Amino acid sequence: MASTEDDRQVRISKIAGRYLVFDIDDVTYIRRQHGICAVFTGTMPQNPTQNVFLGLPLELYAEDAKMLLDRKVAYIADDPLEHLTRLKSMDDETRKSYLQSIKTQRRTAQLVIDEAKAQSQARHKDKRKPKQPQPPVVVPTELPPASVDDAAAVEQEGGEEFLFESSSNKPVKTAPAPPQKPPVKEQLPAITPTTSNAMISTGTSNPDVENHTALPLYSYLNERGYFITPGLRFGGDFSVYPGDPFRYHAHYMANSYGWDEKIPMLDLVTSGRLGTAVKKSFLMGGQKPATDDSEAGELRAFCIEWAGM
Amino acid sequence: MSVDQHLQALTKVVVNNLENQHDWTQVKIHTQDNLPRPLLYGLPPKRLYVHPDEQIEIIKAEKELNERIPQEPELEWVLPLHLAEKWSISDFAAVFDAITAIPPGGESVNANEDAQWQLWRGPKRGKRILLATVQDDSTVTYYWMHNGLVKPRQN
Repeated sequence: MASTEDDRQVRISKIAGRYLVFDIDDVTYIRRQHGICAVFTGTMPQNPTQNVFLGLPLELYAEDAKMLLDRKVAYIADDPLEHLTRLKSMDDETRKSYLQSIKTQRRTAQLVIDEAKAQSQARHKDKRKPKQPQPPVVVPTELPPASVDDAAAVEQEGGEEFLFESSSNKPVKTAPAPPQKPPVKEQLPAITPTTSNAMISTGTSNPDVENHTALPLYSYLNERGYFITPGLRFGGDFSVYPGDPFRYHAHYMANSYGWDEKIPMLDLVTSGRLGTAVKKSFLMGGQKPATDDSEAGELRAFCIEWAGM
Repeated sequence: MSVDQHLQALTKVVVNNLENQHDWTQVKIHTQDNLPRPLLYGLPPKRLYVHPDEQIEIIKAEKELNERIPQEPELEWVLPLHLAEKWSISDFAAVFDAITAIPPGGESVNANEDAQWQLWRGPKRGKRILLATVQDDSTVTYYWMHNGLVKPRQN
């Protein structure tokens, strides 16, 4: 297990704008190695109000996801986006092979149907009186020629089926076809593919993470070994633990601000008071934006506590 | 009312409050070119802030010496503010960058090198400012602001 830890790639599923981790090994890995505990959100279908013992999936903050992505230990799996990208960027060859695979599936379906038909016919024939001697199976004799020129069939019937193909080259394909081949048309059943594996080649696009405004403060704390959990219960954006929350109480309730974002004094007073009330210090942090001279601005953090006077 | 007058009045309110309500002594107004407004510093009647790590070292030292170590008050910085003001992280950073950890005249408290707990009054002391927030009814609330990550006191 230790050897696989090194090149582990955490799969972060982006679903409806949320970053979820479904693999329990990934969950323990990011908690142990990257100090990210995030929030379990899974519940039991029979007992959805039971929210004390939640389980997988684990929901990450955008900041968590971005941090893992920047450390190159994770990737974002965004199904809808991936699908659309693939469909749009499909080249002619992929398209053809996909159509071919659909056709193969339809043939398989036809075979199955024929087989079932033949069986039921045979059964019925036993029951009824044989009126006329009939060749028992008609269809299989038709099939071999069809399967022989599979490729040709696809080429020629390419005009009939289309998968996001522009309609301009359709007549060009269909026009020469009729004289070459008599209209012996394959009557294949329509199918509804349940996967699109055949459409998707290897490799993945790499979706990035958006909306991570608190990232500077977040990674500043994470790099110093702090664990961060949602802070609403203590009245801030984040609650910050000096180690794993299983072992420690939170030290800070933290808010992230922009470098020049004006903070009303009342917010500082109330947050400072609230933080002290829950035995924490109110942490405010912001990063200096990049200038011409310096690229990565320094991050300044301040802690506020009640003075006791 | 000009900004200067406003700041003067604000500073005066805080000075009066410190001296008369909280019994501070040696309260002085400190002006500096790179400070956006005058700061105050003074001596509280009893020690206002003990870092949790310092507290541990004091307790250790007390155990060794087998006697209580009296905690003398230290000079502290005070930043007068009005509740209606809005400050940004950069504004606070500018103030912290302009000051020294120990207010002028406080350095004379010489730390004894072999007593770890005493270093917290000297080189180990972090920058901290008492935010004195004044409301229109002249209520003044006091909050510590520390530079950087400073863990909370055990209270």
